[in-house]
Amino acid sequence: MFGFFKKSKEVKIKSPIKGKIINLCEVEDEVFSSKIIGDGFAIKPVEGVVYSPVEGKVVQLFPTGHAIGIKTKEGLEILIHIGIDTVSMKGEGFTPYVKVDDKVNVGDKLISFDLELVRQKAKSDVVPVVITNMEVVSELKVDFKDSNVGDEVAYVKLK
Amino acid sequence: MVEAKIKINSQTGLHARPASLLVKEANKFKSNICLVKHDKEYNAKSIMSVMSMGATFGDEIIIRASGEDENEALNSLKSIIEALKD
Repeated sequence: MFGFFKKSKEVKIKSPIKGKIINLCEVEDEVFSSKIIGDGFAIKPVEGVVYSPVEGKVVQLFPTGHAIGIKTKEGLEILIHIGIDTVSMKGEGFTPYVKVDDKVNVGDKLISFDLELVRQKAKSDVVPVVITNMEVVSELKVDFKDSNVGDEVAYVKLK
Repeated sequence: MVEAKIKINSQTGLHARPASLLVKEANKFKSNICLVKHDKEYNAKSIMSVMSMGATFGDEIIIRASGEDENEALNSLKSIIEALKD
């Protein structure tokens, strides 16, 4: 019954990469465009460095270093997936700076990648940023714009 | 509870695409389903959990299901993992 008085939690997601924020439906991979994994946004990057978009803990870093998952203290799970079909690059050009269970702050350097190599070898260089546990989300607002690292690009209200 | 051991034969392992297929299928069942790698359990119904397992080519994992539809769940997930191709 005290839930009624509880202030609903919110998370502000900052841009993890310098680039243009686009709609997930424009991503050339239906796993992301159809939002099977979750909702969010994507970035057309102009630089090959990913910084943490939130304060949280690293919960997932695939061995190839092309994707990272962060869980915030509010319980939001965010997946950053660098490029499309980059799993087949088997780690070439990706350098992670953190490991699973590390605590990260907004703006901490997570992964650097060779943007030119991704453009040559992968299907697309676009970077989906997806909330994988949408069941905890009641509202998501995204600001589609050209963004610098650290700009606020999405607002999430939790249930 | 039922379980089965299975080897990952996909060159790229269980990342976004195969993991989302697997999670979608797992959520069709009522049973509790987990995947086990190196004695650690991962929730088969959570995409982040499945990806955090970091299962790559050649890894042996265990599918473990318990609940009223555990046999169907086990068989269905087993065939999805067996069918994974790059």
